[in-house]
Formats: sequence, structure tokens, C-alpha cells
Amino acid sequence: MTVMTYAEALNEAQRIAMNDDPNVFAIGQDIGSYGGYYGVTAGLLDTFGKARVMDTPISEIAITGASVGAALVGARPILEVGFVDFVGTCWDQIFNQAAKFSYMSGGRARVPMVIRMACGAGLAYGVHHSQSLEAWFTHIPGLKVVMPSTADDAKGLLLSAIDDDNPVIFLEHKFLYAEKGDVADGAQRIPIGRAAVARQGRDVTIIAWSRAVHWALAAAEELAGERIDCHVLDLRTLAPLDEAAVLRAVEKTGRVVVCHEACLTGGFGAEVIARVTEKVFDSLEAPPVRIAAPDIPVPSSRPLENEYLRPERRLADAVRNLVAVSHRTARQRK
Amino acid sequence: MPLSVKDLKELYRIMLLIRRFEETAFEKALQGAYANYHGGMGQEANPAGVCHGLRRTDMTMITHRGLGVPIARGVSVKDIFAGLYAKEPSPTRGRIPVYHMAEPSLGVLGGTSMVGSVIPLAVGSALATRLAGRDDVTISFFGDGAVNRGDFHEGVNLACVRKLPIVFFCENNFYAKSTPLAATTAGGSIVARAKSYGIPGERIDGNDVVGVHETVQIAIARARTGEGPTLIECETYRWTPHSTAGDREFARTEEELAQWKAKCPVMRLEKRLLKERHMTEEEIRTVDEGIKQEVAEAVAFAEAAPYAPADAAYENIYA
Repeated sequence: MTVMTYAEALNEAQRIAMNDDPNVFAIGQDIGSYGGYYGVTAGLLDTFGKARVMDTPISEIAITGASVGAALVGARPILEVGFVDFVGTCWDQIFNQAAKFSYMSGGRARVPMVIRMACGAGLAYGVHHSQSLEAWFTHIPGLKVVMPSTADDAKGLLLSAIDDDNPVIFLEHKFLYAEKGDVADGAQRIPIGRAAVARQGRDVTIIAWSRAVHWALAAAEELAGERIDCHVLDLRTLAPLDEAAVLRAVEKTGRVVVCHEACLTGGFGAEVIARVTEKVFDSLEAPPVRIAAPDIPVPSSRPLENEYLRPERRLADAVRNLVAVSHRTARQRK
Repeated sequence: MPLSVKDLKELYRIMLLIRRFEETAFEKALQGAYANYHGGMGQEANPAGVCHGLRRTDMTMITHRGLGVPIARGVSVKDIFAGLYAKEPSPTRGRIPVYHMAEPSLGVLGGTSMVGSVIPLAVGSALATRLAGRDDVTISFFGDGAVNRGDFHEGVNLACVRKLPIVFFCENNFYAKSTPLAATTAGGSIVARAKSYGIPGERIDGNDVVGVHETVQIAIARARTGEGPTLIECETYRWTPHSTAGDREFARTEEELAQWKAKCPVMRLEKRLLKERHMTEEEIRTVDEGIKQEVAEAVAFAEAAPYAPADAAYENIYA
């Protein structure tokens, strides 16, 4: 184990993959000497040269499409699109081309590529640099969607994403880049499609991903002092969803809160709760709860952005309330 | 290298095969055998002239009007009709409209429905072949409608700044669906755009298969030797409406169509072959009959084939 930041872990994963496989290359705006917006590609140019660390024009359509085209003929591109907010400029190449070539070609062509994008609020960057748009990607069959919450997961999951023969949307939370953690040495992969228990508990299950996992762990810590024992499940991968882990975690406690940073309406929390209610309804002791951002663009000033980020502050209360409701319901049943 | 008589005969055979395919594919769509067909009749010199002499490892990306390309690259009309009919034996068991057909083993990377979106994909193919240290080239087919997409400008620009081994081959048939070129394209010229990217541009007669082939060969040689992209604007005309789905023709006139039919690329080469006594009328009839039979057998095969069961819809979502 080595202590490093989330950004350093992502850098190391790319370094390992590029070292092991000459077909892997990095492409994006300012990823070369500038080192990527958050330094995630720092130093790769010096090690691997211009042919494999490609600085590009501000042409999201071209660089995304070119990554897909390169993947079709056997390369394994790692594309950095600085902010998920910019994905609209190259969305067609992702959801119509990258996601469908395997299907369209009857498996004759495949698109092994990773699209790395920074998501999330908390740095006062405003409406065009702060969104959490993961639900868009999960709606498209053919895409995989990965959202690591720790440095170790960032490295292990990025290695798996690069190995994967499908387009993988890799969403990095910009607030987490500087967060440090223990990271496994070497080229250890963490499988895509598997959730992780971030904290064992008996009373309430909190399901989260990306930065919200940290909110969940903080709330769990706070509630432990009140004898509420939270179980925290970090999805890590949204597509394919580890449904078995979700259902198991809910059955264990009978109470579930899904917490995410994205807006409420159409957020991925709705999908998680729909599956829970369809499949393990009888194990629920109280109605499931969603804690999500309000349905507003992400505002810029600190107080306004904090309003957007209210899930962090509301989570502990939501859990308290859920426990109270389920106790009340239990008494009524008796 | 000048074309031999053998080359000319092969170009003729391929154009005639594409023509007979186009005629039948259009007619069958009108009869309701499948939902729709975007015909390329009248443009046969383009796929035939471009693809002749390509290596198998040279890549082509096609348009929604581009089934001549897979045919010219050696995909069987049987496979293509099975795809049009969306039947079980088609390459995707009926999952996709055949316009997206990919057969990478024959250098066909596939196509998309979003006009021009194949251009960046082709640029990526050129990027990857060079990264792999191969001297293969990629041909990016697109129509005049694509040159006003961001995909065109971004893709061509990226290929030019990286000097990639690619040929941008624009089949200008003068109409973006129903809208004439003058109403869609500022500057009035597609080839003029090459200049702003600092690459050679050629405007050619797209109904002259020999001229198409020779121009493309020069561009391919440049690409192979590391001199970068070329933009070719190939003037041609489609004889059929945008598609068979009841498309109305606003701007195209009967007179205009007749003028272009008089410039039929297939007849043009046929006349030359006869005039220069490379082929007799009898030989041409024999070739045509063989092709007609091949097409008829492909249609019969597709019509008789079953649809795949519903579970085929779930295949290949992930690689």
C-alpha cells in the first residue's frame, strides 16, 4: 500500500496501462505538457512521447469520434474530456457511435475506450463546470459507467476500464482529486460491476457513489453516537449495476436511503429505489428515501452552491427520520 | 500506374454489380419488402473507383447511401440483402439497418445515420493505424450534406494538424436530402475548404470511374507516404429520391435528372470498352446476366430466410 491522492492514483493507472500495452494511448485537450486539467496526466508526455499522449484542438466531436474510430481498429484510447458538462458537445459520438458499434456490427467491431470526465460541485465553478450527469449515461445500453469514491478504487477501476472491450464512462469527482488514501501497489484491478461495502451496519442502509459516499460515511459516524448503526454501500459502478449487492444491503437493514449529488428528478437514485421496491418490497420497514440535490442548475456563489449541495447536510436527518418512521410503523403493526 | 484492360473490366463489373443491386434494392423497398432504402443509383463510379486497388487493411467508412462500398470491397450481395430484409442470416441477425454494415476483415468499418459523424471516426482509424506503425490509409466517404457539420470541420482539422493518412472523399450529389447545395453551403464550393486547412483539394467528375480512381490513387499515395490528408470533391448525382419512404422532390427537376442520366457512369465505361474493343456486346451481356443472377439469388435467399427469434435482440450490446 502507498498513500497517494485520487489524482495520483489515476495517473499511476494510466502509466501502468500504457507501459503494459502499446495500443493504449491518451488523448485530450491540454493533457500533455499541461498535464490535464487536474494533473491526472502529468508526466505521461515525458514518458510516452507525443505519439501516445496527444494534445488536441478544442474539438470535442473530433477527439471523441477519433477515439471511437481508433478503438474500432484495435487501439485503446483514454480520452480526457475535462468536464462532464462539456459532454453535450460530443454526445452523439458517445451514445450513438461508441455505445452501438458492437451491436451494429454483430460483434465484428468493438470500442475499447475510456472517457474520463470530471464531475461534481463544491468548488464554486458554476453551471458549466459542476454538474453530475451520470444518469444520462446509465440510460444508454452499451455504455459502462464507473464513479470511484476513493484513490484505491480510482486506480483499480481505471485499470479495469482500460482493459474493458467496451466504452467506459469514467466519472471522477473533482472535489476528490486531492483526497489521499491507501492505494494497492502494482497493477491490481478492481472489477467493474461490483459494489463495495464502505461500512458495515445493522439499522439503515445508505447507498451512494462518488463523493456522496464520503457524506454517507460522515453521517454514519455522527449517527453512531446516537446508536444508529448505518450500513454504507458504495456502488462504484452504476452500469452494469451490482443489483445483487443493492438488494442484499437493503434486506440486511430493511431501511434504505439513496444519496446522490445529482439533481433529484431522473437521478440514478430513482432507478435504485425502483429496483428495491420491485424486488425486495417485503423486506422494507419504511418507505425508501432519496436524498439528492434540488432541481436547479449548480449556482456559483458559496451560499448558493451550498444550497445545491444540501444532500450532505440533510442525510443524517433523513436517516434519523427514517428510523423514527419505521419504529412508528412497527408499533402500529403490533 | 495506368489502368490495364483487366482493371477496366473489373471496374465495369463492380459498377454494374452495384447498379443491379441498387435497382433491385430500390424496387424491393418500394414494394414494401423492408422499411426504407436510401439509394445510391447513379453514383456507382465513386465506390468502384475509390475501392479498386485498396489493400484489405485500408479502411473505409461509409454513408447511409454507401452500400456500393461494401460491395466494391467484396462483401457479398447475399449478405447485404439479408441485412436489408433484416433476416436471421444477416451479419447482425436483423438487429440493424444494413446502412451501418461493418465488415472490418474486408476494410469496411461501418457507417452511421448522423450525416458526417463518420468523419471523426475515420480520422480515428487513421490515427490508430499510424500509431500501430502500419502504412494503411483510411478513406472517409461522406456527402455534400456533411460538409456543414461540425464533425466535418473538426475531423478534417484534427487530421490535418496531425497529418494523418486519410482521404476525405466527398460525394457531392448537389442535394442534402431535398435542399440544394447553394442553399446550404457558404462559399459555394466544397473543395475550396481544403485550402483553409492547408491540404490539396481536387474537384473531379464523379461519373468518370477512371478519373475517380486515378485521383484517389494520388491522394492515397500521399497519405501512405506521410504527406497527410487530401480532400476530393466528386461531382455526381443520385437518380432516386433521398429514400423510398415517400420523399417528395422539391428542387430536383426531370430535366436535371435526364441530363445526369445521360452521363451514366456505367454506360460511359461500357461505351469505352466497346469502342476500344476490350469487350464485345456479347461479353457484356454475359457479365450482366451473371450479375443479375447473383442479385436474384441473393434476393431469393433473403426472402426465404427466417427472422431471428427475439432473443437475438439481446446480443452484442457489450463486446
